[in-house]
Amino acid sequence: MEGINSEIIIVILATGIRLAAPFLLAALGEMFTQRSGVYNLGVEGIMMMGAFVGFFITLIGGSPLLGIAASLVVGALMGLLMAVVSVTFKAEQGISGIGLYMLGWGLSGLLFRLYVGAITTIDGLKPVAIPLLSDIPFLGPILFNQNGLVYSAFLLVPISAFILYKTTWGLNVRAVGTMPEAADTLGVSVQGIRYQCLIVGSMLAGLAGAFLTVGHANMYADNITAGRGFISIALVYFGRWSPWGIMLGALLFSMADSFQSMVQVLGINFPYELAVVLPYVITIFALAISFGRVWGPAALGKPFQRGTRG
Amino acid sequence: MKRVLTVFLTIVMLFAIAGCSNSGTTANTPQKPAESPKAEKIRIALVLPATVDDMAWGQSMVEGLKAVQKSMGEDKVELATSEKLGNAVDAGAAIRQYATQGYDIILAHGSQYQSVLGEIAKDFPKTTFAYGTGFTTGPNIFAYDPQAQEGGYLLGMLAGKMSKSGIVGIVGPVESGDAVKYNYGVQQGVAKAKSDVQTRIAYTGSFNDIVGAGNLAKTHISAGADFLTGSSQQAVGALRAVAETEGKYWLSTDMDQSSLAPNHVLASQVYNWEKVATKIIELRKQGTLGGQRLSLNLADGTIQFKYNEKLADKVPAEVKAAIEQAKQDIVSGKVKVELPKK
Repeated sequence: MEGINSEIIIVILATGIRLAAPFLLAALGEMFTQRSGVYNLGVEGIMMMGAFVGFFITLIGGSPLLGIAASLVVGALMGLLMAVVSVTFKAEQGISGIGLYMLGWGLSGLLFRLYVGAITTIDGLKPVAIPLLSDIPFLGPILFNQNGLVYSAFLLVPISAFILYKTTWGLNVRAVGTMPEAADTLGVSVQGIRYQCLIVGSMLAGLAGAFLTVGHANMYADNITAGRGFISIALVYFGRWSPWGIMLGALLFSMADSFQSMVQVLGINFPYELAVVLPYVITIFALAISFGRVWGPAALGKPFQRGTRG
Repeated sequence: MKRVLTVFLTIVMLFAIAGCSNSGTTANTPQKPAESPKAEKIRIALVLPATVDDMAWGQSMVEGLKAVQKSMGEDKVELATSEKLGNAVDAGAAIRQYATQGYDIILAHGSQYQSVLGEIAKDFPKTTFAYGTGFTTGPNIFAYDPQAQEGGYLLGMLAGKMSKSGIVGIVGPVESGDAVKYNYGVQQGVAKAKSDVQTRIAYTGSFNDIVGAGNLAKTHISAGADFLTGSSQQAVGALRAVAETEGKYWLSTDMDQSSLAPNHVLASQVYNWEKVATKIIELRKQGTLGGQRLSLNLADGTIQFKYNEKLADKVPAEVKAAIEQAKQDIVSGKVKVELPKK
């Protein structure tokens, strides 16, 4: 096949790394949320709000960093709303998550219409080549010539693992998500931890949204996330609620996506419909055949009420 | 108590959204019965799959209708729009509502509305319905059908003659309808211009994934394409990606997208919906409520080929002449741009 050379492989891999970032950010956030016993199906809506606010603040403030900061704030607010509804008022989490998704979708589109009104482009984040490392042949252009959000997303994997498994707070999160009654009797605030996780998780979802507008597309259009938030939730299950597993899933998915784009572009004779679904098929397949016991936080989805059982 | 509050909050949330996404539907006009042909004022309702400002398919129609409104007089034409109704079932509710409110002409701007219009139109025999891309009509249904391959052919010729790398990339949405016609036209134009220039087509599998379209454009560029094009509302994502690289050009379709990237959009195929809408209005005045297939093509000016003024001097005169010649040949019928066989 003509055109398949190391340059093309570098493009496929570098694109795959870049495309993994939004999934990784959103899925790591959702992992903390679910580890504390709450599943937040509103990730997609939070991403849309993060995408819009990140874009809008970059547009009027002139700096992508301001936009990114704003997306964290709006993510935190959306997380707070979800926490009020699902933790304090103990609403059915699936329903309130979908509500949050629709709120984010409607609100981001409405705000765009009111304050921007037409498709506008911005100057987003530029790739930052890391000195020395980016000169390594082959690996350099793949790993070390990305934008800041991509580096942050991958750095968050070991950081999340450390926080979850090595800190007291991480232990509390796991305890609250597994056996909230026990955690409660030991003086851990179940509601407090769940609030914190929802807020932190939603901030990361907001950041994932900002990646799409500020770090990738450099523009905003309605429904820009196009289902990426829901895929992130699936990746949490795929990764068995562990940061490294999630990274593996995100990379598998995005590499498959990047690969299928190149297959289409090079005109390799392969039905495009199959190429487009390839990432999903691989992910489902990997999910289905993965060995070991499927383990999830035991209290996932159950509101906590002191003095009652689940 | 808490449970009640929760349910209430959830419901409020849901309604908040329903309110936003339907913002255009409520034109505050008094409800009139469906039959008022004597009314001097023409009431037009437009149902869009995406948004009024998508810089593509939807926006081109909105601007066309606004032009009609301007030329016929603001007081003569009333316009109402509903957006984000890509799902034909949701659109059906809006269409029926418009018909009940007595709108004279209801435009459902997408091929996916064909069957839902067929159902609704029977109940409102005095209302004119129109949709497209399509060709199946009804007694009170017009179908409009842009010959996207014609402008595609001219854009393809331009790309074929101007490409330095010898690779033209197409970022397609879904392999169907308008997109296939357009892509087919581009391919033929490129081949006509220079037989050794390749046309590479890739699809995102969606109409509104601008991130995916941008990514496909980047992949095309990294694999060597220097001229790119593509249809549907997601195309602006690809256009934005093209604009990031010096020396890469974009050819736009549906409407002139050069305002988004003045240094990268070389030429456009532009649909003149004003003419189509005017024709529908005229036909209705004469008592023809539907039943015709309205073709958009180069011959009657409903499809226009436009250069971006700012970059016009980049195109050599002989290329312009060749394209002008091809345009004449298509208009006169000497050149027939083939369509894919079903």
